[in-house]
Amino acid sequence: MARGGEESGLGQAEAIIRPLPELVRNQIAAGEVIERPASVVKELFENALDAGAREVRVDLEEGGVRLVRVADDGRGMGPADLRLAFAPHATSKLRAVDDLDHIATLGFRGEALASIGSVARCRIYSRPAAELLGWAVENEGGRVSEPRETGGPAGTHVEVRDLFYNTPARRRFLKRTATELGRCLDVIQRLTLAHDELGVAATHDGRRVLDVEAGMGFRERIRRVFGAELADALEPVEARDGDTVLTGFVAPPRFARADTSRQLWLLNGRPVRDKVLIRVLREGFRGHLEHGRHPAAFLRLAMDPARVDVNVHPAKAEIRLRDERRTFGFLVNALREALRRSDMATPGQVLLDRAARRDPAPGATLPDPGPLRRPDPRERPGDDELRVYEVPGRPLELREREDAGPAGAAPAPPGTEPADPAGGWAASDDVRGPFVVVDRTYIVRALPDGLEIVDQHALHERVTFEELKAELERGPLEVQRRLVPELVEVTRAEARRLEEHLPALESAGLCFSVFGPTTIAVQGLPVRLRRPGPEELVRVVLDLIERTGRVPEGVALLEEVLHSAACRGSVMAGDTLSQDEIESLLRRAARIPEAQTCPHGRPTRVRFAKLDLEKAFHRK
Amino acid sequence: MKVLCNRERLREGLAVVNSVVPAKSPKPVLSNVCMVATDDALELVGTDLEVAVRYRVEDVKVEDPGTTVIPARVTLDFVRDLSGETVEFAAAGGNCTITSGGDACELVTVDADEFPVVSRFGEDGSLSLQGGTFTKLVERTAFAAAREQGRYAMHGVLIEIDDDKLKMVATDGRRLAVASAPIDLSGAPAPEHATIVPTKGMQLFCRVITDPLDQVRLAFEENQLGLRTRNAEVFARLLDGEFPRYSAVIPKEVGNALEADGDHLQRKIRLVANVTGDEARAVRLSVKKGKLELFGQSAGRGEATAHMDVEYKGRSADIAFNPDYVVDGLKNAERELVRLEFNDKSSPGKFTLGEDYVYVVMPITMDV
Ligand SMILES: Nc1ncnc2c1ncn2[C@@H]1O[C@H](COP(=O)(O)OP(=O)(O)O)[C@@H](O)[C@H]1O
Ligand SMILES: [Mg+2]
Repeated sequence: MARGGEESGLGQAEAIIRPLPELVRNQIAAGEVIERPASVVKELFENALDAGAREVRVDLEEGGVRLVRVADDGRGMGPADLRLAFAPHATSKLRAVDDLDHIATLGFRGEALASIGSVARCRIYSRPAAELLGWAVENEGGRVSEPRETGGPAGTHVEVRDLFYNTPARRRFLKRTATELGRCLDVIQRLTLAHDELGVAATHDGRRVLDVEAGMGFRERIRRVFGAELADALEPVEARDGDTVLTGFVAPPRFARADTSRQLWLLNGRPVRDKVLIRVLREGFRGHLEHGRHPAAFLRLAMDPARVDVNVHPAKAEIRLRDERRTFGFLVNALREALRRSDMATPGQVLLDRAARRDPAPGATLPDPGPLRRPDPRERPGDDELRVYEVPGRPLELREREDAGPAGAAPAPPGTEPADPAGGWAASDDVRGPFVVVDRTYIVRALPDGLEIVDQHALHERVTFEELKAELERGPLEVQRRLVPELVEVTRAEARRLEEHLPALESAGLCFSVFGPTTIAVQGLPVRLRRPGPEELVRVVLDLIERTGRVPEGVALLEEVLHSAACRGSVMAGDTLSQDEIESLLRRAARIPEAQTCPHGRPTRVRFAKLDLEKAFHRK
Repeated sequence: MKVLCNRERLREGLAVVNSVVPAKSPKPVLSNVCMVATDDALELVGTDLEVAVRYRVEDVKVEDPGTTVIPARVTLDFVRDLSGETVEFAAAGGNCTITSGGDACELVTVDADEFPVVSRFGEDGSLSLQGGTFTKLVERTAFAAAREQGRYAMHGVLIEIDDDKLKMVATDGRRLAVASAPIDLSGAPAPEHATIVPTKGMQLFCRVITDPLDQVRLAFEENQLGLRTRNAEVFARLLDGEFPRYSAVIPKEVGNALEADGDHLQRKIRLVANVTGDEARAVRLSVKKGKLELFGQSAGRGEATAHMDVEYKGRSADIAFNPDYVVDGLKNAERELVRLEFNDKSSPGKFTLGEDYVYVVMPITMDV
């Protein structure tokens, strides 16, 4: 390294620290706010909302990288505002520090347009409704033009082209078009769902991808955004705890996805994405989801703003609840309750669709935006659809459920058939055979208007689990003691490993003892736990210890045990159930609202309505 | 082979054989009945390799001795639906024709050499007893044998000879039934090996004992038990493995003892068990001086209580049982007055149901 001697005279006189040129400053700021096209969409869309728009239109090209254009019919800007719109920290929404406490708008920092302007080619056209003429300004890499007069509609159009054209390093971070588009759509969808009053239209490369009219209700919005299948299966949620009010919809577990894109939380009207709320949903759906799946739910939470902090960092929206425990409990209970009401069986239609899709897929990655025509938002789906989606949920909720059912529904007087509310098959399904069993696993049975396939292992797992859980909740488990212990041979190491966990096992009614260096004696088991047998149970528990290094207590242990046993196919391995046994299993299941999925979220039954069959045979 | 038989006698024989013939088997030949016609008799043989039966059909006329192997099920169905009084079997050249009056059917026969060999009853060392004694002991014990799970040896009934008595024991690990009856050994040696007969074999033995007053003979062999009645010889392969040391689990000293009318007790248990669920099976017995209270409860349905008078010695005590288990025993009680003895709610309850009949049931506990 050369010593600095030669240049030292000059270097000493001039400071090394220099203020950054404004463009670079903005580009750095942009790094925080604008990461990808979706961030642009978010900022522009929120500006439109802040401007009081009633209709917003978003046009995208190449996933938003080539173009994001947001047009609104909001209050617009005059030439004086346009001159300042791209200036950093220029905002119309915040004047003094005090204002920070009661911000009603989505933006207030005045840095979005400045940031965007520094990393893209931008153009704003705007006309306040009261003016006759509009004005336009351009910003190319920070160079802002003078506003010039142009004609056009009232409102504002902001066009952002060639994002990151002057910062190639950032541009390289962008993902495939489909991914970027997906993220843009996610933003648009959330904002669309959040604002009942708003009309939204969106296109990508000229193709319409979203179309929601102003004034459409929440469910209709969901239908337009995510399709009819999901919307029709939604179960409303409504609960109140003091001034905390939860409303919205949850979808049955089969709509769960690997990501949280079908989850929306609106906190006092604003979309938030927050770990606590994601946890609330996971907890609410506990026992109905396969590992790593996230349920679909669209929820509005209204609460006293004093009881919640929203971190309004532009890129995130995290919240902090003042009374987290209580709120958490309240939310989880409300969700569980709604979930129980929902129709959890997988309708046969879905299978048929899936089968149809297995034939050459049309490769589109876009969610189905629903019908292209614009029907009346209050329009119900056709008669047939009603039958497919709204009735099939009920076949198993037969008399018994009413007898033993939740409080509130007075039991019908003996001898009277309950009224048949849907005019469908609800009342006449009496869980009687004959049953056909395929592969000692799948029970096929006729319903009054269709047929049903039940996974006997999954159902048995669920039924046993729920019964045991309910029993544990009431008190200690009933344990059938053994006169002669069942002896299970294990290795020395296994015996030692098991020994440490005997008390935990006992808490779930699994009374084991060590009988010799390589023998475990099963001394007693819960009365309800008919399967798996002692030998298998010991194996399952040993597996569990091996996998996780520990033994959970009570319900959690039973859940694990039953699940592993079901997975090993051992719950009823080799058992061919008699017709009576099948009937009894189905009857027990009918008493359990959760019985539509196994405790780990696999469906226990798939149902084909008559309409499904008609479709399958091309009669309809 | 050519034989003339009485249709009703033949039907009975075929029905017995069909109770052995497996519905599905990896060895298809087992779905057949082997008919052996000798000079003066027709024998029907069937086996699933675990149990085997040799049934001698009476009232036959053998015109041409020989052996033929034909599908057991079809043969029974056809013979049952015939209306004539006599049936003729004629086998020749791979076919067997069954004729009765003008009705006939022709069946394809199976090579007789493929049919497994079934042993003959060995009179030597066999002992004689009344058929009814045997069936009674089976009735009192077999229900307690393990069905689905548990040690292999518990899937059968242990038969022992002890003190001039024939004793049967069965347990599924949760309850144990022990019943015995005096027999005339007249010098027959007691079996050297533990004799555990699978439940299916026991059922077949009982099936062929048609008259309880008839004498039957039992032959203990190394790996099978044979039983001979007037018409039938039945063999059951013994179960391997160690039967639990049952005498150790029968409580010797007990603190609480109650005596009650067996029928009455059974009725009360059934009554309160109506409210326990299909799967939750606990009925709690609570005894005080001279009074027995019974409780059944289920979360979904409610609870039930019943009372009855009993003779009771001991302190106030509680014990809970699976009502099905208790009823299984009470149903077979030999005498009106039954006795229940126990120490506390987590140790076995011993029911004395007859002179030589003890039934031990392990309780259900609710606080581990
Ligand atoms: N679509 C729009 N309609 C009307 N005014 C707008 C619109 N977009 C931006 N503006 C004006 O430009 C200003 C700067 O916008 P922005 O950089 O997003 O900052 P902020 O939203 O934080 O104020 C806003 O305060 C608003 O006055
Ligand atoms: Mg803004």
